[in-house]
Amino acid sequence: MASYEKEEGKRNMRIGTYFRGDYIAKEVMKSIVYGTIAYGIMVGMYLAYDFEVLMEEVYSMDLLTFGKVILERYLILIAVYSVITYIVYALRHRAARRKLRIYYNNLRRLSSMYKKEESDAADAESVPKKERTK
Amino acid sequence: MVFLLQARERILQFYSKYDNFCKPALKFLLALVTLILINGSIGYSRSLTNFAVTLVLALVCSFLPVNVTVVMAAGIVLLHLYALSLESVIIIAALFLVMFLLYFRFTPKDAVLLLLTPMAFKLGIPYVVPISTGLLGTPASVVSAGCGVVVYFMLSYISGSAAQTSGEGVDAELINKFRYLLDDMMFNKQMILYIAAFGVTIICVYFIRRLSKDHSWTIAISAGALLDILVMIVGALYFKLSVSIGGLILGSIVAVGVAFVIKFFVFNVDYSRTERVQFEDDEYYYYVKAIPKNTVKVNDRKVKKINGTVDPAKKSRESRREKNPERRRQGKEDTVKEKKDATEYRMHRALTERDAQASSLERDTAAKARANRERRRNNQ
Repeated sequence: MASYEKEEGKRNMRIGTYFRGDYIAKEVMKSIVYGTIAYGIMVGMYLAYDFEVLMEEVYSMDLLTFGKVILERYLILIAVYSVITYIVYALRHRAARRKLRIYYNNLRRLSSMYKKEESDAADAESVPKKERTK
Repeated sequence: MVFLLQARERILQFYSKYDNFCKPALKFLLALVTLILINGSIGYSRSLTNFAVTLVLALVCSFLPVNVTVVMAAGIVLLHLYALSLESVIIIAALFLVMFLLYFRFTPKDAVLLLLTPMAFKLGIPYVVPISTGLLGTPASVVSAGCGVVVYFMLSYISGSAAQTSGEGVDAELINKFRYLLDDMMFNKQMILYIAAFGVTIICVYFIRRLSKDHSWTIAISAGALLDILVMIVGALYFKLSVSIGGLILGSIVAVGVAFVIKFFVFNVDYSRTERVQFEDDEYYYYVKAIPKNTVKVNDRKVKKINGTVDPAKKSRESRREKNPERRRQGKEDTVKEKKDATEYRMHRALTERDAQASSLERDTAAKARANRERRRNNQ
C-alpha cells in the first residue's frame, strides 16, 4: 500500500479527482492543440521539401484545392488522434478508479484493524484496574 | 546459486536503503554517458564538448526527472547541429517536436528509450534494446524504440555526411541540402529494417513472457533473440543490405546475457514450488497459479560494543526510570535480581553443560546457589 501511494497511487489519485467526462475532455483538448502544432510542423517540412516545385507551380495550381487538401488531412489527423486519445484516457481513467477503489477498501480494512487493536489494548488495561477495585 | 541470490538480496537491500542517493547517482551516470556519446559523435560545438560543461549538465540532470535529461539531450544535439548546418537543425528539431507532441505525452516513462536506444547502438549492443524492452515494457514501447532507432540513424547520417551538409550557402543550396538530407534519411532501408526487427521482437518477447507457462521468461528471451536474428537476415536479403552475420549472432548472445541479468533481478522465481489454488469471493471464482519468488535470508551483521560507550536507548530508558519513583524502585530490584541470577546462571551452566570442565569449587558453589534458588522459589 505504501509503495502504491508513493508511485502509481499519486497519479491515480490525481486522475480520481476528475469526473470521467471532464478528464477525457481535458486530454482530448490537449491532443487537439498538440496535434495542430505537430501538423503545422509537418506541413512546414513538406513545404520546405517541395519548395522548388511549389514555387514553379504556384501560379498554375489551384490554391483553393491545395488548401482544401491540407485542411482535410488536418481534420483526419485530428479526428484519428482524438479517437486514440479518447480510448487511451478512458481506459486509464477506468483502471485508475478501479485501483483506487481497491486501495480505499484496503485502507478501510487497515483502519478497522487498528481500531480493533486499540480497543483490545484498552480492554487489557481496564481488566487489572477492575480486579484491583474488587 | 545461493551466493548469487545473497548478492542480489544485498544489492536490493542496499538500493532500497540508500534510495535517495542511488537514484540521483544512476541519473547522473545516464546523463553523463549520454552527453559523452553525443559529444563524441556530433561534437561540432567546441564550448559544449568541454568536459566541465558536460559534468555540470550531468549533475543538474541527476536532481531532475529522467524526462528532463531526454529534453536536455535533445537540446544539446540541436546546439551541436546548429554549429554544423541550419537545415539539419530544422529537420532534427521538427522530428523531436513531432515525437514529443504526438507520442511521448501518452507514455512519458518510455521517453528514456530515446536515449537508451541510440546509446546501445553506439556501444555496439543494439539487440539488447528489443529483448530488454519486451521484458520490461509494453507493446506501446515499440513506438518508443522505433523513435530511438530513427534518432540514431538520423544523427549518424548527419555526422557521416558532415562534409556535404556543413558550410554556408545561398537559399537555393539550403533548400537542396534540406531535400537531399530528408530523402536520404527518411528512406534509409537499414533504419526501416531495424525498426521492423525491433518491433516484432518486442511484441514477441512481451506476449511470451506474459504467459502463465513455466519458464516463460527464458522462452521469451530465447525466442526473441532467434526471431530478431531471423528478421534481420530475411530483411537484409529482401532489401539487399549487407549485415554482418557474426556481429548479429555475437550481439544477440550479449543481448541474451543482459536479458538473463534483468530476469535474475526482476523475475527470479522457483518453479519447483509452484502451487495451484482455487478460491472464490462474492463476485468471482479464482483459479490461481502461485509461483514463489526465490529469496534467501541475508545474515544481519550485529555489532556488539565491548567498550564503555552508553547505548542511547538504554540511557533514555534509565532516565525515564529515574524520573518515576515507582519505576526507580522496580529498576533497582530488577538490577539486584539480575546480578544474583547472573551468578546462579553461570554456575548452573557450569554444572549442567560444562560439567567436565568445572572445578570442584565451582561445582560446590553452583550446588549451593541451586539450593538457594529452590529455597527462594519455595518461599515465594
